[in-house]
Amino acid sequence: MFIGTEQLTHTYMPGTPFATKALHDISFNFKQGDFALIIGPSGSGKSTLIQHLNGLLKPTSGQVVFEGKNIGSDKQELLRLRKRIGLVFQMPEEQFFSETVFDEVAFAPRNQGFDENEVENKVIEALEKTGLDPNELRMRHPFQLSAGQKRLVAIAAVLSLNPEVLILDEPTVALDTAYRKNLFDLLTGLNHKEKLTIIISTHHLDEAAALADRVLVLKQGELAMFGPAVEVFGRREELYSLGLALPPVTEIMHGLAEKGMPVSTSVYTLQEARREINKVKRRDRS
Amino acid sequence: MTRSITLGQYIPGQSFIHRLNPRLKILILVLILVLLFLLETFGALLASLAAALAMFALAGIPFSYLMRGLRPIFYIALFALIIYFFFTSGGVVLLRIGFITVESEGVEQGLFIVARLVVLVLFSLLVTLTTTPLSLTHGMGYFLKPLRYAGLPTEEVAMIMAVALRFIPTLMEESQRLMRAQLARGADFETGSIFRKAGNMVPLIVPLFVSAFRRADELALAMEARGYRIGARRTRMHEDIITLKDWGALALVLVLVALVWAFSL
Repeated sequence: MFIGTEQLTHTYMPGTPFATKALHDISFNFKQGDFALIIGPSGSGKSTLIQHLNGLLKPTSGQVVFEGKNIGSDKQELLRLRKRIGLVFQMPEEQFFSETVFDEVAFAPRNQGFDENEVENKVIEALEKTGLDPNELRMRHPFQLSAGQKRLVAIAAVLSLNPEVLILDEPTVALDTAYRKNLFDLLTGLNHKEKLTIIISTHHLDEAAALADRVLVLKQGELAMFGPAVEVFGRREELYSLGLALPPVTEIMHGLAEKGMPVSTSVYTLQEARREINKVKRRDRS
Repeated sequence: MTRSITLGQYIPGQSFIHRLNPRLKILILVLILVLLFLLETFGALLASLAAALAMFALAGIPFSYLMRGLRPIFYIALFALIIYFFFTSGGVVLLRIGFITVESEGVEQGLFIVARLVVLVLFSLLVTLTTTPLSLTHGMGYFLKPLRYAGLPTEEVAMIMAVALRFIPTLMEESQRLMRAQLARGADFETGSIFRKAGNMVPLIVPLFVSAFRRADELALAMEARGYRIGARRTRMHEDIITLKDWGALALVLVLVALVWAFSL
C-alpha cells in the first residue's frame, strides 16, 4: 500500500456532548504516481480525511498508512513525513505571513534545516515549477499578488520541499476559469513529468475528471465509492444523488448514448468527445 | 468539518432550567448567592447542596462536567481548609502535633466555608452551563441599562460583547486550522526557548490578524447594510419574554431567602 487508510474513524471532540463523527470506517489506498480525487458534497469529511494523510489529525481509531507503514506520532518522524507528503490547505494564501514571496516559499525548507544556499535553490526551483518567474516575484509582497498568483505561490511554498506526494484540499476554490485551467495543467505536468503522486479533494469535476486515475467518494463521512475513475464515473446516477455532476461533455455523451448512438460514455474532455463522435460518423459513412 | 464550538461551557438542552428567562436567571443566581451567605446551619447548607445537585440532574448535565467545573477551586478550598484547621481556635482540641493544634471550632468553620464555596460554584456553573453566552450577555446588558443615564453606551457595549463572544470560537477554529497548515510546512510551535517560541508564533499570529481584520471589515459592512446604526433602538429576533413560570421561580427563591433570613437557618 502506497498511501491510504485502514478502517479510519475520526470523531471531533470525543467524550463531549458536541462529539461529531466526521469519518467512519474508511479504508482505501492510492498507488504511487496516481492522480487521485477525493470527492463528495461539502461537509462530507474531505478536509478531515486529507489532514490525516500527513499526520496532522490523529485517527480516533484505525490507521493511516504510508509505504506500508503506519503513521505514528513521533515528532521527528512526522517532520520527515511532512517533507515527503506535501499538503496544500484550502485557501492556502490565507496562511501568508512573510513580507516577501521568497520568505514565504522559503519557510518550509528553512524549517527542514537546509542552509541558505540550498534554501535559495529550492525556492527558485519551486517557483519555476509553478510557472512563476522567480526574479520578478521574489521580492514582492505576497499580499500584492493576484488571486491566481497567490495560489501558485502557496503551492510553491509546499513544492519547495520536493515532496513525493502532493495533496491539495479544494485547490480551485475562488479561482476563475483561466486560473483553474492553468492550475490543472500545472498539476498534470507535475504528475507526468515529476512523477508526483497527486491527491486532490474537490466537488467540482469539470477539469478534474479527465485527469483522475483513482477516485474516492465520501458521503457524510462514509466511503460511498472507491475505485478506478472509469468505474466510479460510470455510476452516474449515484453521483447525481450525492449532488456531484459529471462534466457537461460527459453528460452530452450520455445523452447521445441514450438516443442510440454507439458512443463511449467515459469521455471527459472535448477532444475525446470529438474523436468519439467522429469515429461513429466514419463508421456510419462506410 | 468542526461544528462551531460554543464558547464557555454551554450544553444545549430543553429543560426548565435551560428555558428560564436569562434576565431572571441572572437575578435568581444573585439571590441564591445572597441566600448562601445568609445560611448559618449545616443542615440548610446540605439542603442547598442537594437542591443544586437535583437541578443539575434536571438539566441533564453529565456528572463529569460538574467535577470539571469544581476543579479550579480545589486549591482554594484546600488552602481555606488548612488555614481554618490550624489557625482557628476554640472548642475541643482534636489533634496535637507539637505546638500545632487542630480544634473543633476550626474544623467546623473550615468545612462550612468550603461547603458554601462548593455550592456557590455549583449554582454559578449551572447558569453558565444552561445559558448560551449570547443570552447571558443580553441578560447582563439589561442590568447595565441604568448606566446609560450616566452616559455609558450600554447597547453598544452589549453589542461589542456579543460580537466578541460570537467570534471567539470562529477565531479559535481558525487558529487551529492555521496551526495545522503551518505544521504541514514543517513549523514548530513547541520546542526551543521562550523567545524562540514567541518568534515561531509569527506564522500563526500574522495570518490570524489579517483574517480577523478582514472579518471585522466584512461584519461592519454587513451590519450597516442591514441598517445597524449606533444609538438606534434595536428590536430582537428572540424576544425576551418573561413567563409565569419565570416569575414563579423567582417568587420561590424570594420565599426561600425570606425563610432563611427570618428563622436564621
